[in-house]
Amino acid sequence: MFLGTLVYGIVNSVILALVALGFNLTFGISGIANFAYGALYVLTGYGVWILLNEVGLPLFLAAPAMVVLTAMAGALLYRVVLIRLRGMAISEVIATFGVGLAVLEFFRYLGFIGFEYTLPPLLDGSLSIGPVFLDLQRALIVIVGVTLTGVLWLFTHHTRLGLAFRGIAQDEHTAMCLGIHSDRVAMFSLAFGGGLCALAAVVILPIGTISVDAGYDVLLEALAVCIVGGLGSAVGVIVASFILGLAQTYTAMYMGSHWMMIVTLVAILLILTIRPSGLFGKQKELEERI
Amino acid sequence: MEVHPLLQVQELTKDFGGLRALDRISFTLNQGESLGIIGPNGSGKTTLVNVITGFLRPTGGRVRFRGRTISGMGPHRIARLGLGRTFQMARPFYHLPAYKNLVIPLFSPRVRRLAGGRYGDRDAVAIDLLEEVGFERDSFVPFKPASVLPHGYLKRLELARALAIRPELLILDELFSGLSMAEVSSTVPIIEHLQAQGITLIMIEHRLRELFRIVDRVIVLNFGRKIAEGTPAEVMESEDVKKAYLGSE
Repeated sequence: MFLGTLVYGIVNSVILALVALGFNLTFGISGIANFAYGALYVLTGYGVWILLNEVGLPLFLAAPAMVVLTAMAGALLYRVVLIRLRGMAISEVIATFGVGLAVLEFFRYLGFIGFEYTLPPLLDGSLSIGPVFLDLQRALIVIVGVTLTGVLWLFTHHTRLGLAFRGIAQDEHTAMCLGIHSDRVAMFSLAFGGGLCALAAVVILPIGTISVDAGYDVLLEALAVCIVGGLGSAVGVIVASFILGLAQTYTAMYMGSHWMMIVTLVAILLILTIRPSGLFGKQKELEERI
Repeated sequence: MEVHPLLQVQELTKDFGGLRALDRISFTLNQGESLGIIGPNGSGKTTLVNVITGFLRPTGGRVRFRGRTISGMGPHRIARLGLGRTFQMARPFYHLPAYKNLVIPLFSPRVRRLAGGRYGDRDAVAIDLLEEVGFERDSFVPFKPASVLPHGYLKRLELARALAIRPELLILDELFSGLSMAEVSSTVPIIEHLQAQGITLIMIEHRLRELFRIVDRVIVLNFGRKIAEGTPAEVMESEDVKKAYLGSE
């Protein structure tokens, strides 16, 4: 029982990390908090569903196609809206949240509600870890999560674009005077964030149903992980995902599943009281605050 | 074919609200020349650099680089044309090791183009560059994050970073400020070496004694206007310059 909870707790943690990675990447690079993140997640879900059931594409084409399309949607969001608001944090939040609301509520208006909106699992079957049975889809989520984290690390540390990302993240002006196009990098950051979000949706959605409300939940989860871990910190996202993921699962197991949401909210309140910049976030130095 | 000066600044004007920070500044700079820009605090020196390098858009006038108008272009495009600059307050990528600070510019399309489509071993090139500006090669200093480097090293890192994009024109905004006498005298030969390589220089400086050893020509700004231009000796004889620096009697 304990072991089973541990395994599912880890799966839950990886799900949280996957959901938060893209949000965190965009923020870490361009300082833009993309509140349309949940909408991109749901957009991917319904997009794959439509490609599968209305267009008749096979899953192995529909899923990658939506990852690419969602990344493009992210880029478009920057190119059309955010480029004109750059640097005004509140306006960025309002604009992305507004776009997200419009997309999500449009799906509701179109009538995308019901249990028929599910995605088939990419992998069928299950495996056993000792006495615990785990379906292959959840195992796949863990594998994708771990691989993606590794690939992202390699990307940001050893590629040209990755280094440009880190440059812009650390000092925009210096990066610009080295020939780095700040708007293009910011657009890429939205696209990469969107692509990661879509990838998360493609592997996670098959274990549940696609719904408009999932958009709001995903945004909330991504925010919770980033607040606890510290916005913009990759290590923070991973640590916070495990803290929240395990805490949620154990709470659900031993106290009842309706307590799960409380865990996240309590964690946010606690961290904001004790360390407002998050576990691994950059806290302003005392002299900077005065 | 018409031969253009490397840099032409024509009637350049910049207003901040009601304040005229630059007032119809004009000068030209030929390939291989070294120009000093001096003036009291607030006279518009850094604004001039920011307009030339594209960080600020001019209110009027224009800047031409090799005959091509660059005012209105973004900073990244101007940098790619071969205009390197340093910042008055060192602005490294604090969370990267010193040599990685140079790997970012070494990745730029400009460097690849100049190298004939190949980047080479960037880490090695970065460490060579750091040695050129006075980092000890056989030490851990190049591998330390910029955030722990002392001020003198950060200034050199600024210089190395600007050099990494292989500039034709290098603009140094108060490179010597905050350096000790010893550090300044060890930096001067590095700059003289750059001049020998044919790099065109613009230096903004308050340390006039060292500046006058390096540059061929000086322009003096005061309240956004160019009040004098000439060799260091000529400029220091000018009544306007004496007044600007010492106040009118």
